[in-house]
Amino acid sequence: MQKKAIAHSIFQEVIEVLFEDNNFDINMSLFMPNIERNPNILDPMEGFLRGNMFRNEYVPYKNLTYFKLNPKTEKEKTLYHIMALSFAINDLNLYLDLHPENKEMFELFKKYIAEKKELSNKYSKQYGPLTLTKTTNQKYNWDDSPWPWDNLGGSMYV
Amino acid sequence: MFKYVKHTNYPINIRKKDLKMAKYLLSQFGGANSELAAALRYFSQKFNMPDDYGKALLNDIATEELGHCEMIATMVHQLTKDATVKEMEEAGLGSTYTEHKKGIYPTDSNGVPFTVTYFSVTGDPLADISEDMAAEQKARAIYENLIDLTDDEDVLSVLLFLRQREIVHFNRFKELYEYYKKKGYDKI
Repeated sequence: MQKKAIAHSIFQEVIEVLFEDNNFDINMSLFMPNIERNPNILDPMEGFLRGNMFRNEYVPYKNLTYFKLNPKTEKEKTLYHIMALSFAINDLNLYLDLHPENKEMFELFKKYIAEKKELSNKYSKQYGPLTLTKTTNQKYNWDDSPWPWDNLGGSMYV
Repeated sequence: MFKYVKHTNYPINIRKKDLKMAKYLLSQFGGANSELAAALRYFSQKFNMPDDYGKALLNDIATEELGHCEMIATMVHQLTKDATVKEMEEAGLGSTYTEHKKGIYPTDSNGVPFTVTYFSVTGDPLADISEDMAAEQKARAIYENLIDLTDDEDVLSVLLFLRQREIVHFNRFKELYEYYKKKGYDKI
């Protein structure tokens, strides 16, 4: 139990640092909020890390909030961008299912779809397809590792 | 229909093997309150939702949950892949090894195989959606139990993400429930 308590206090420090310095080591310009943006909707990267796009719905467990990602390569950075946008689209999707008339949410939803499309095209060309129909390079590379459940010991997707 | 996307919902890269945690995590793959139960529950219930709000929401949450099944199985795989037979046996996974070797089979953390009796499809939207709300709360509670059982940040980060999804899904289901109640679907 003692060990556990220590581990959790270390955690708290990590989390405090996170709140102070949320500059992810990736290009955040894609996620800069619009000027008239609803402050309750988080930017895709922060929403993604939290698992929740809506500030007022976020409920941390005990002192544990969320972790910073450390992408090590350009490939990982691009993939994390895509994952963050994909997450944002999914969370806005669930909201829009019940509020299809919400114009602000729909505009954001479309914006993220456009950004994700562009990044996915770039990723597929450089590193391989994320969806089957993006397998359009010279070689059939859909079956190339790593698959999402693989890990290679250090950084993922390298 | 479905299309596969070749990445998990949230990055998973577990560097340290932990066989006990792998055993506990199985709860969320094939247990009573698992992601698999959630996916199949909403997927089956969606066919009898009375309007587009319910059809869309159950369809889209079911799809997300299927991705979460893959995440849990990925974690179990990464936590066990480098283990020796002896280590598995010492961690209480000797029976698992006997039945499945290193395969990921949907059971709860006690090894009880998954069953569809974990969920209902009543054909009554309010009954089904109140079960869905309860399911999200129970899954949140299980995630908190799992979070209490680990100090590994590679595991914790994923569990915190998945726990938060249960909170969002509960809120959406609750909103749908209240709307259907107001519409009088319990009186039809």
